[in-house]
Amino acid sequence: MENVYMPIPVKVKKIMVESDDKTLRTFDIAFCNEKDRFDFMPGQFCQLSILGKGEAPFGIASSPSEKDALKFTINRVGNVTTALHYLEEGEVIGMRGPLGNWYPVDKFKGGSVVIIGGGFAFTTLRALIVYLLEHRKDYKDITVIYGARRPGLLLYRDELAEWEKRDDLQLHLTIDKEVPEWKKRVGFVPTVTKEVAPSPKNSWAVICGPPIMIKYTLPVLSELGFPQERTYTSLERRMKCGIGKCGRCNIGHKYVCSDGPVFSYAELQELPQEE
Amino acid sequence: MDIFKIEKSKLKQFLDDLSKKYSVFVPAKQDRVTSFKEITLNSQLSTLNSYNTDKPPKDIFFPQTETLFTYDENSQLSTLNSQLSKPIAIFGVRPCDAKSFTLLDKVFDSEKYTDTYWKERYKDALVFALGCNNPLSTCFCNWVGGGPFNKEGADISLIDIGEAFLAEPCSKKGEEVIHKLSLQKATEDDLKKGNQLKNEAESMLSKPVEISSLKEDLDALWNSPKWEEIARKCLNCAACTYLCPTCHCFDIQDEGKSSKGKRIRIWDSCMFKLFTQEAAGTNPRPTGKERMRQRIMHKFNYLVETIGEFGCVGCGRCIISCPVNLDVREVIKEIKKVRN
Amino acid sequence: MENIEKQLRETVKKLLKEKKVDLVIGYSKGTLPLHSTPVFITHEKDVDNLIFDATCGNNLAKYLGKSRKPKTKNRKPIGIIVKGCDGRSIVQHIVENQIKREEIIIIGVPCDGVIDTRKLEEKVGRKEVLKYQVEGEKIIVEGKDFKNSLKKKEILSDSCLMCKYPNPPVYDIFVGEPVPVNENRKPNTDNLESLSPDKRWEYFEKEISKCIRCYACRNACPLCYCEECFVDQSGPQWFGKSPDLSDTMIFHIVRTLHTAGRCVSCGACTRACPTGVNLAPLGIRMEKEIKDRFGYTAGLDTEATPPMADWNENDKQEFIM
Repeated sequence: MENVYMPIPVKVKKIMVESDDKTLRTFDIAFCNEKDRFDFMPGQFCQLSILGKGEAPFGIASSPSEKDALKFTINRVGNVTTALHYLEEGEVIGMRGPLGNWYPVDKFKGGSVVIIGGGFAFTTLRALIVYLLEHRKDYKDITVIYGARRPGLLLYRDELAEWEKRDDLQLHLTIDKEVPEWKKRVGFVPTVTKEVAPSPKNSWAVICGPPIMIKYTLPVLSELGFPQERTYTSLERRMKCGIGKCGRCNIGHKYVCSDGPVFSYAELQELPQEE
Repeated sequence: MDIFKIEKSKLKQFLDDLSKKYSVFVPAKQDRVTSFKEITLNSQLSTLNSYNTDKPPKDIFFPQTETLFTYDENSQLSTLNSQLSKPIAIFGVRPCDAKSFTLLDKVFDSEKYTDTYWKERYKDALVFALGCNNPLSTCFCNWVGGGPFNKEGADISLIDIGEAFLAEPCSKKGEEVIHKLSLQKATEDDLKKGNQLKNEAESMLSKPVEISSLKEDLDALWNSPKWEEIARKCLNCAACTYLCPTCHCFDIQDEGKSSKGKRIRIWDSCMFKLFTQEAAGTNPRPTGKERMRQRIMHKFNYLVETIGEFGCVGCGRCIISCPVNLDVREVIKEIKKVRN
Repeated sequence: MENIEKQLRETVKKLLKEKKVDLVIGYSKGTLPLHSTPVFITHEKDVDNLIFDATCGNNLAKYLGKSRKPKTKNRKPIGIIVKGCDGRSIVQHIVENQIKREEIIIIGVPCDGVIDTRKLEEKVGRKEVLKYQVEGEKIIVEGKDFKNSLKKKEILSDSCLMCKYPNPPVYDIFVGEPVPVNENRKPNTDNLESLSPDKRWEYFEKEISKCIRCYACRNACPLCYCEECFVDQSGPQWFGKSPDLSDTMIFHIVRTLHTAGRCVSCGACTRACPTGVNLAPLGIRMEKEIKDRFGYTAGLDTEATPPMADWNENDKQEFIM
């Protein structure tokens, strides 16, 4: 019987400071043992653990094809995340996964996808974008709208610059307030979405970000004609087991860990509206 | 199916024989508290005659604290005794609690993931469920599809007929085991007596409140101000959930240093604020109202959706243990009232 | 007692009618024999649910804690029915700035002790009591196949047997006749103190080992109103979460220390415990200690400065090396 609570050993290959306030770091994590390697899909998450400190769940920010390492971008907020921030390259930590469901990339096939992100909730969206670009011919237009409070809080800035050069991906970066060095868009994500979103015809939307951004962007999508069945998000909750046993991350009868974290708004409508 | 008989005068012998092949658990009293304990040479069996144990038997399969693994300075992880030396047998568990095992099994051994710690203990366990000749006034198994002599979750169902227990196998496992136990068969008179006790016990229970539409009643109640009213006197302690035979929520924690220690899981409770408190400070269930709603919804709505049954066996422990006498039967009645 | 209930209901009805309060916290009949349950009365029509007798063991001051305090519409005072110990807890709340005196209307009732159902079980055995009747100093309990007549005193909470404050020290309205104060009573843990330290430790180990960490004791305690209890803190985490004896023992000891000079030995913790841990001696001993050291008794004076928040040059300081 496979023991789903046992972490596998993984090595911290590379650590990058992601945000200018240094509260976000991106970790490249490699399997120590080839036998532990697993496949996954964009949107899934893992439990990373430091022995003696505990475990916490993080969305996988890399695409399954990026075989060298799994990527996680971690915000320093609690005990485990602080301990993770103190890690050095080469150290070994524990990992369980892949857990949860994923963005329905098969359903998206043949359609256009608009990806809307805010702040550091861009991690699994990166995984999704890289995946879609790898399977570019399967999808029509790909539009990415990504906003942050200021330029230094945008994740994966080198890659964003690369994506901007591509002509098969429409990338719209925006920040909340004007700053001298920023030559691009200024404005909130809902406003930008209204301006640049593609036709809802045969289109899918994926939105991840702070609750306030989601709250004001959803009506925009709905106005534009995106039905709730084709609008997806990924949720976060306090989790422990990650496999639907420990009983805390539920919304109604669905566990965010094992039934989610990816839900369509049509699915969420069916569930009680917990604060 | 044949029904057998275990003479009480030979009970000790019977359990001794059983314990050659099984780790046998029986109700026991220690410092005023009754719970299930592994049988020893000095075990008193008098607690069998008493009403149900204060603590539920779930900890036999799902201990309050359980080491998931230990680790050493080389980050080597090891699980302790993942293989049991002997399978578990529980003698004298009440029908409500026997049923609780089947509910917990559906949670811990779900379609997607199997909890190995639970499964290792439960899969070969032998459950002797003892019918309740004298249900308490707090028993409401008959509200939730149970009864004082129900056999769900039991491998062998027992009835105390005075000088002996009738023993009826009610699973394949039970059938196999009972034939190896060289027991004598029950007589017509024994069976008649058993039936009589059963009828008497059933008539002792209060008339059940009809709750077949409780799930739907709750669906309609999510935003009701009723929750505030129901939760008002609740102290948000975990007496109800820790003593509930079906509550399964737990926390995972590391104990020790980075060089040596263990990862454990511990019972946790939806009644606690910290249960859903996120590191960033947000909490989807910030007050007692949301937490009370979660507990009731989980038992009478969510589990109906996910496993097709109420997450309550009507044992009444939450009623007996509540420090403010918040009676779940009253909560159910209130909920029904709102809808009707 | 019946008389008290009648008067009590009339008093509460009047308060509601005259709109002096729009909420009264009291007790009503529980669903189990020998149990009452807290009740929140907002309408005159519900007033007849109010009871007061020896089953009213909860300390209702609990419901005045900042996080629990019900918000009344026009910020009218909250009416609350209190026994001596509850009244002292309220005084303590006022002393600790948890509530203002003018925010509550204290309806005092005389109390000659509340029942500890665990003691009842010791008397009648593990049998379910289905009916009870109080006849003067006697209480008659009845079950399926038994009927026992007990002395009420035998099943009263230990805290009540040592109680010197059966009537609330501060109130707005007093219902009934005050219970005569027995001056000979005092916090007493002589039985335990006569034991050797080893034996005493053994006693506490035995008691505390029954703890399942449900926190019913803490959550029933009127003075445990901390937004986040030390035992729940996670950054840093001071305690293991399991019912490991050493962790559990430290939890109960630290909680006792944290209620030093505040605990009024109401016994609500002990009565709340679902596994029957007898916590009362810890609080009683602490109350005695505070009285001996600082001449202070918690919950008597709303103007007092609690000893743990004060410094006096005469304070004993033998612990300073």
